[in-house]
Amino acid sequence: MASPSDRGQRAGTVLEMWNRQVHYYLGLYFFVSLWLFSLTGLLLNHPQWALSRIPNDANPEYAIAIEPTSGDTDLARARDIVRQLGLKGEIDWPQSAQAPGRLDFNVTFPKRAMQLSVDLREGRATVRQIDRSLWSAVRITHTFSGSRYNTPGMYRDWLLTSMWVTAMDALAAGLLIMVIGSYYMWYQLKTKRASGWIALVAGFLSCGWIVFGLA
Amino acid sequence: MNGAGKTLYRWTRDLHLYLGLFVSPFLVAFAVSVFFLNHAKVDTSAVSSIATVRDIAVPAGMERTQGREAVDLARKIVDQVGVTGEIGFVRYLGKERRLVIPVSRPGVETVVDVDVSKRTAVVSRRITSVMESIAYLHKSPGPHNAVLRGNWFWTRVWKWLTDGTVYLLLFSSVSGLYLWLTIRAERRVGLVLLGAGAMTFVAFLYGLAI
Repeated sequence: MASPSDRGQRAGTVLEMWNRQVHYYLGLYFFVSLWLFSLTGLLLNHPQWALSRIPNDANPEYAIAIEPTSGDTDLARARDIVRQLGLKGEIDWPQSAQAPGRLDFNVTFPKRAMQLSVDLREGRATVRQIDRSLWSAVRITHTFSGSRYNTPGMYRDWLLTSMWVTAMDALAAGLLIMVIGSYYMWYQLKTKRASGWIALVAGFLSCGWIVFGLA
Repeated sequence: MNGAGKTLYRWTRDLHLYLGLFVSPFLVAFAVSVFFLNHAKVDTSAVSSIATVRDIAVPAGMERTQGREAVDLARKIVDQVGVTGEIGFVRYLGKERRLVIPVSRPGVETVVDVDVSKRTAVVSRRITSVMESIAYLHKSPGPHNAVLRGNWFWTRVWKWLTDGTVYLLLFSSVSGLYLWLTIRAERRVGLVLLGAGAMTFVAFLYGLAI
């Protein structure tokens, strides 16, 4: 019969093995997405690079008749217009108040941005459409969440945005698990502890100085 | 594995460990702020303090300058009212002869509103939470107003650090791939996960970018 210390040792070995496997399985699963966010992060950090530029040339605008809109609020009416026109994407609502009888808003997703100017009395929507290259669209996915923390009243309203945000959350959670797991793995290596502490403390000091020191 | 192979393995493993440990606090900051950026809502109209500063020396030509030059002149005003940080932009309201200068740094968002005629400045400060500070850094310096960005020394330092974080992360992922490949028993499962991750991502990109 195994003694309590043997059982403890075995549990430790199993935990170590699981932790190691979780570390590289998560790393492999998120490998492509990590590269995409890293590269697009670099592009966001260097807007002067040719690869970072996002052309905003609109196609010729066109007008289209719409049926009387349904809904109690401007946003509900905007959703109805989006449905009528068969558009897809996130409704980007302006911060300024809407003029009476009019609705001006954008419908966007990384590949396309549509600026809608709707005359509710005339029953006419004018649409300016901006099509983006695949590269520009990929770059936009980095920041595409349908919500801004400092913009009240801006919420996600497209299913695909919510799914994308969940994927971004999962990547962030996966990274955190990998980092915590890596601390455990490093700490098990007694010969690397001292040198590891130096690297870790250097990282914490440089990051902590910016986050807390400047405040 | 021959001698050179063993040396390469050892070096890769050690660099993966030490560089990974160094960059890990930055990764934690970026990862944690993702949840804030995706889900939080902050009332930015709630000001922590308001102060009025008199006898402001407004640099000559301030009303006519634009772009980086305007930011450099605005720095002289911002220094007088004891505010430090990255100047977002400079807006001149001609009719009212007012200058509006938002200034940000981790932990504090400030708006300096200068009445050019009266030579007074109203300084409104909003203290931000730790999470909002980290989220601010996550987005800093950012792609907008590229000509103006990095007008504060620490923003430039942060830009170098974020670049370094990306390069170290790319190195960690490639070295991790190499270390995984040396474990033959894990190759099949690893390949399935690598493929599954790539497929998931391609599916999202197809929906969002095609």
